[in-house]
Amino acid sequence: MVKFTVNGKAHIFNGDEEMPLLWYLRDNAKLTGTKFGCGIAQCGACTVHIGGAAQRSCSVPMAAVEGEEITTIEGLAGAERLHAVQRAWIDEDVAQCGFCQSGQIMAVASFLKDYPTPTDDEIDENHTNLCRCASYARMRKAIHTAARYLRGEM
Amino acid sequence: MENLNRRKFLQVSAAAGALVISAPSISFAQSANSDRYRNLDTNLGFYLKIDADNTVTIGYSVPDDGTGVSTALPMLVAEELDVDFDAVGVEKLPPLYKENDGSNPRGGDDPYINQTYKGRSIHQSTGGSQAIRQSYEMLRQAGAEARALLMKAASEQLGVSMSDLNTENGYVLIGSKKLSYGSLAAKAADVKLDFEPKLKTPDEYKIIGTDQGQKVAQDVATGEQKYCSDMELPGMLSAVIARCPYIDGLVKSYDDTEALKVPGVRHIIRVNRIPEDLSQQKYIADGVAVIADNYWAALKGREALEIEWDKGRWSHVDNAWIDDNFNKLVESGKTNIRLEHGDFDKAYADADKTLEVAYDQPYWAHATMETPCGLVDVQSDKVIVYAGNQTVVRVMNDLMDVLPGYSHDQFDVTIMRIGSGFGRKFIVDAVTEAAICSKAVGKPVKVIWTREDDLEQDFYNPKGRHVFRGGLDKDGKLVAANYLHCSTDNDFATHAFPAHHVPNYRGEVINSKVLPSGPWRGPTENVAGYAMQSFVDEMAHLAGICPLKYRLDMFRETGDTPHPGFSSDIMVAERFINVLTMAAKNAGWGKELPEGHGMGVASFMTFGGYAACVVEVKVDSDGTLTIINACGAADPGIAINPQGCRAQIESGTLDGFSAALGQAIAIEGGRVVNNNFDSYEMARIGASPHQFTAEVARNTITPKGLGEMSLPPAIPALCNAIYDACGVRIRKLPIADQLEKAMKG
Repeated sequence: MVKFTVNGKAHIFNGDEEMPLLWYLRDNAKLTGTKFGCGIAQCGACTVHIGGAAQRSCSVPMAAVEGEEITTIEGLAGAERLHAVQRAWIDEDVAQCGFCQSGQIMAVASFLKDYPTPTDDEIDENHTNLCRCASYARMRKAIHTAARYLRGEM
Repeated sequence: MENLNRRKFLQVSAAAGALVISAPSISFAQSANSDRYRNLDTNLGFYLKIDADNTVTIGYSVPDDGTGVSTALPMLVAEELDVDFDAVGVEKLPPLYKENDGSNPRGGDDPYINQTYKGRSIHQSTGGSQAIRQSYEMLRQAGAEARALLMKAASEQLGVSMSDLNTENGYVLIGSKKLSYGSLAAKAADVKLDFEPKLKTPDEYKIIGTDQGQKVAQDVATGEQKYCSDMELPGMLSAVIARCPYIDGLVKSYDDTEALKVPGVRHIIRVNRIPEDLSQQKYIADGVAVIADNYWAALKGREALEIEWDKGRWSHVDNAWIDDNFNKLVESGKTNIRLEHGDFDKAYADADKTLEVAYDQPYWAHATMETPCGLVDVQSDKVIVYAGNQTVVRVMNDLMDVLPGYSHDQFDVTIMRIGSGFGRKFIVDAVTEAAICSKAVGKPVKVIWTREDDLEQDFYNPKGRHVFRGGLDKDGKLVAANYLHCSTDNDFATHAFPAHHVPNYRGEVINSKVLPSGPWRGPTENVAGYAMQSFVDEMAHLAGICPLKYRLDMFRETGDTPHPGFSSDIMVAERFINVLTMAAKNAGWGKELPEGHGMGVASFMTFGGYAACVVEVKVDSDGTLTIINACGAADPGIAINPQGCRAQIESGTLDGFSAALGQAIAIEGGRVVNNNFDSYEMARIGASPHQFTAEVARNTITPKGLGEMSLPPAIPALCNAIYDACGVRIRKLPIADQLEKAMKG
């Protein structure tokens, strides 16, 4: 039995503990904002926060989430209407097909905690999620915009 | 009778003292009933819902795979309807199809074709960059008709002349008074127009040509947006299919004993290759489906399957074999000449300087972000389908092949937002597999491909070799050119620049099929752009002339040239000159560059849309490549949503860079072996330049499209910039570690 929280709510899982967290979130918890992209932690479409840090949920077995606090895109904004990164994503009109963007936003929200004033080089080195539509030009702008929101400059 | 039909589709009810009207309900009906596919000419328009509180919802018929049609198409309606676009809601329309009555010449033998509206086919396909150009006139007319109906209703209600009325942002104005569209919608659905509403001229546009954010932006950012793989039906099972990884291979035998022991696995069935004829390209791979309570159980079940494959006739094939076969094909000389004018052989023999060069490019996979997926429930009397495919009618037409006995009015098909397409999702294979599985087990079945499935079983962009011979006269003019495209598919950019700009030209093609192939963003043009624009660049350098000036001079000298083919008939020199000039200006072409930097230029017309790209790169002494700046410019005709256009320029360019830098399908022993993102290399944000300028031309020319246009010039612009920076000419894609190797050597 594995006990953990998702977006502040208590969850208990009794099934195959080898199952990746991604499939628990999608199939069991019906939180489909977290997407499947590769299954081997290469693309980041499945990024969630575990204990506040970005993790690729396709490669996190259920056995590893005992006692953890998990946040998905559905819970990112918390009590707010939108998280700063979500606002920036809308402002800069980043999304094309949109399928990878939950994961992008979760990864960036975590990245900006460590790099509140990121340089382009720091973005290049640390943000490794794949966007098949290659919306990277706007994504770069949106990361800077989100950082300004979070610093209270906007 | 017509009015009765009309009323039948109106949902009228009293709510909070207001008349709530959904006109017409056919547009937004959720249940399967054949009525919704008929009578489209008898109401405010198939695309429109106006509520009594004046909420306007505009339906869009074309699936959106990220090119922004779900915003741009409603803009066309809203422009003529005269509503506040910020307040407009958008909604994907249900499939609108009808029995094939021969009215669509492109309908072929398909049992069903697009429904028509006022005699014209309602465009319901995303691909070929066609959505805007196929809808530009019709949707504006539809908006204008709805506005005229609302005005007519107001004129009858108030007993005033139509000429005394005007409209503004969702209201009919009568002097200082105004009536909301919502208050007039019910009556408007019953009035008749005895005139053809006049369309606005472009100088009157208030919405078309303005920057609009994507209507789905918030749903995407919050994770609320649903895709096919997110959908569920009660009692649904999940299927993961073991497909034969060998090209045209088959299942020889299998043992499912262990797989059936996996908790949650319910059924294991054979899925047979479609078509059976192995000489035809695979549509459904031969395989074994594991059907389970959930995805994870199905995946584990598949891992426990033991299958012996019949490797088929291609098990000796790898990329080196295909390259060698290209050598043999070229040597055979058995080409098909597609275009010839002047006397290439003589002009080449007489040329002052000549160059013979070949450019190779590999197979590329689509690798759509959402892997192929389908959810189907085959019941005894109906079929419920969720799909994320690019062509609406093809979903049902293809399913009817595997579900004989069902008629179209038993299908309830929902096309979801597509998790990227790039041509891959014309093919309805995953949905067809879901139908086969559901029919076999009598429950709803969802099929989600793994990434390995996707990269192993794709319909790849063809691999090719592009052999050029070029001859210059003593002034450096390109007077002789021969382009031989050796390909694994039958594709050739017959009329692309510089075919008609060289007085002595021969374009020819030779091909030999290996892997299954299909359209991939800018089919044919995507690789022709690389080859033809690299060749022109090499000739400019051989002539000692600025590569930008070289191109501009050729366009200026030759003028407009014929370009018969898909979506175009003529190539307009001025439009090419314009996009080249825009990109060059934004990049600062000609400025002094730091040591190790270089700039490259290219342009290409794809499906009637013009695009140019200028790239600045830095190549370090160890071969490390940095893309410093990219400037993309495009002229698709009138830009409906310039912000959306710029998004396509940006992403088309960066998608091109991604393909050029690292993408190549690896084949060993007759199967694709790089089957996930650890081995099939796609660019991340780190490969994208810190500076990027996208500019879309501003004109009022009837639009083409922009989804594919910016990729073909991006790749050669990058390669040409690399040459300018370090003198290494990229004659084989991907670029991969070529620069590191060249700089060491």
